[in-house]
Amino acid sequence: MIEPSRELRDVCAIVGAGHSRLGRVPGVSSLDLLVEAMHNAIVDAGVKVTDIDGIICRGPDESYAHHQQIGARLGINARFSTTLDNGGASQILGVALATMAIKASMASTVIVGFGRDSWSRTHSSKEANVRNETRPDSLLAHEFGPEYGYFGAVAAHAFGATRHMHLYGTTRDHFGAVAVAFREHALRNPDAQMKKPLTMAQYHESPPVVAPFGMLDCSLRSDAAGAVIITSRARARDLRQPPVSIKGFGSFNNLRGWFADDNMVTTAAKNSGEAAYRMAGLGPDDVDTAQIYDCFTYMVLTQLEDYGFCKKGEGGPFVASGALRMGGRLPTNTSGGQLSEAHAEGMLQVVEGARQMRHIYPAERQVAGAEIALVSGHGGNQVCHSTLILGRA
Amino acid sequence: MMDERTNASRKKPAPRPSPESKHYWQAAREHRLELPRCNACGNMWFPPSQSCPHCLAADFTWTRVSGLGKVFSFVTYHRVYHPAFANDVPYVVALVELDEGPRLLTNIVGVPPDKVACDMRVRVVFDDYSEDVAVPKFAPLDATAKS
Repeated sequence: MIEPSRELRDVCAIVGAGHSRLGRVPGVSSLDLLVEAMHNAIVDAGVKVTDIDGIICRGPDESYAHHQQIGARLGINARFSTTLDNGGASQILGVALATMAIKASMASTVIVGFGRDSWSRTHSSKEANVRNETRPDSLLAHEFGPEYGYFGAVAAHAFGATRHMHLYGTTRDHFGAVAVAFREHALRNPDAQMKKPLTMAQYHESPPVVAPFGMLDCSLRSDAAGAVIITSRARARDLRQPPVSIKGFGSFNNLRGWFADDNMVTTAAKNSGEAAYRMAGLGPDDVDTAQIYDCFTYMVLTQLEDYGFCKKGEGGPFVASGALRMGGRLPTNTSGGQLSEAHAEGMLQVVEGARQMRHIYPAERQVAGAEIALVSGHGGNQVCHSTLILGRA
Repeated sequence: MMDERTNASRKKPAPRPSPESKHYWQAAREHRLELPRCNACGNMWFPPSQSCPHCLAADFTWTRVSGLGKVFSFVTYHRVYHPAFANDVPYVVALVELDEGPRLLTNIVGVPPDKVACDMRVRVVFDDYSEDVAVPKFAPLDATAKS
């Protein structure tokens, strides 16, 4: 493995974080949601919009040069500006790229964000609701899938769940423990989309979608956006908020495919995490809170293993022990995550990780004394992964 | 009952072959499962493409495989994502690992969904969607002695 550059450790900081209205926000485009989140992040940081000279974002799948539309809406030009294309791994990759751009003096203050309007899209018609597809038809498979009735991200991830259950004896009770823990967290988050408690009995009663997944194994369809602002640690000293240090990041891409090798049970999180730990000079025992890309319950369990919080195959007992709850060994997805807060493809996990490091929350929602947060991003047909390690500066 | 199922099958989305997969579907129509095998290194791969993903040689032969394999993993659809599958739920979509190595996305047929398991031995069967299209599916090895 190439040794990650330690010159990037603690060089930059997140100095502002914001999110848009979450959940069902009818009549608002993903672009408007993103600008709303960016505006909130700018206000939070106390910077002027004209201080921003870098934009990194990712648009809806069918968009072109999305960062140009963002710049126009913010009314700014930028020294460094681009659109990423790694699915749910893009958002952390954006934070990493911002750090590199600042270190290379290509920009001084970079805004990174992502927004989507999945609730509105999937509720635009009955057919859209059933298909649950946010990509345009032109981007869907034409063979080796639809003729078999193979559609959607639920099934793709469920393949991994089945294999993990077969190899390690993982059960639906284990997946349920993830869903129940994150719902508990969401109830302490006034902005969360889900407002009602969830019991293990209710989890098991939820209708099957693509077994082994039922409805409550699946993340939410949300109108939602998040954004963060990144600048150098030196510049951060003059700003309003306590800076959150970017201690390490990594990425890995299992481009041979989700169905190749053992990728569906040992994900790209393993190599991505190792790179991030090395850059940060930290390991899993140093992490106080994790914000894990929870598109499906199973994906939390397998990533916790891949990140070394427990051994491969022991994710089930680990989550069943209550480790993910507040006061547990590793309070995880403390905003409710994509399963119960809202789904903005990992961007809200970056926002929550930064806020936990600022210790801004009331005691019931704050991970007490947290110094280090690990955030994960996963996407791009299940094979792209990125990792961010944040620290209280 | 059989007619109803056949009619439902006819409406299923037919594969739209790419130039690289045209031969695969032509062979399937004649109930032969054929995959590209590299003439330089012997690697066999799927899905079809014009060069070997192991050694990048663009010299290969379409090669008939045994049609035997095992279930690597599978899922069971309870939700109807497409109306043509309304009569099929619950149905199984599986990743089958052929004895020759490559893995194929497919359906497991001839067995109730709750009897499908990882590592189960399976054998290819062909489902004629129309006169022009046959789709390779897999059934438990024990249950296909007659086919």
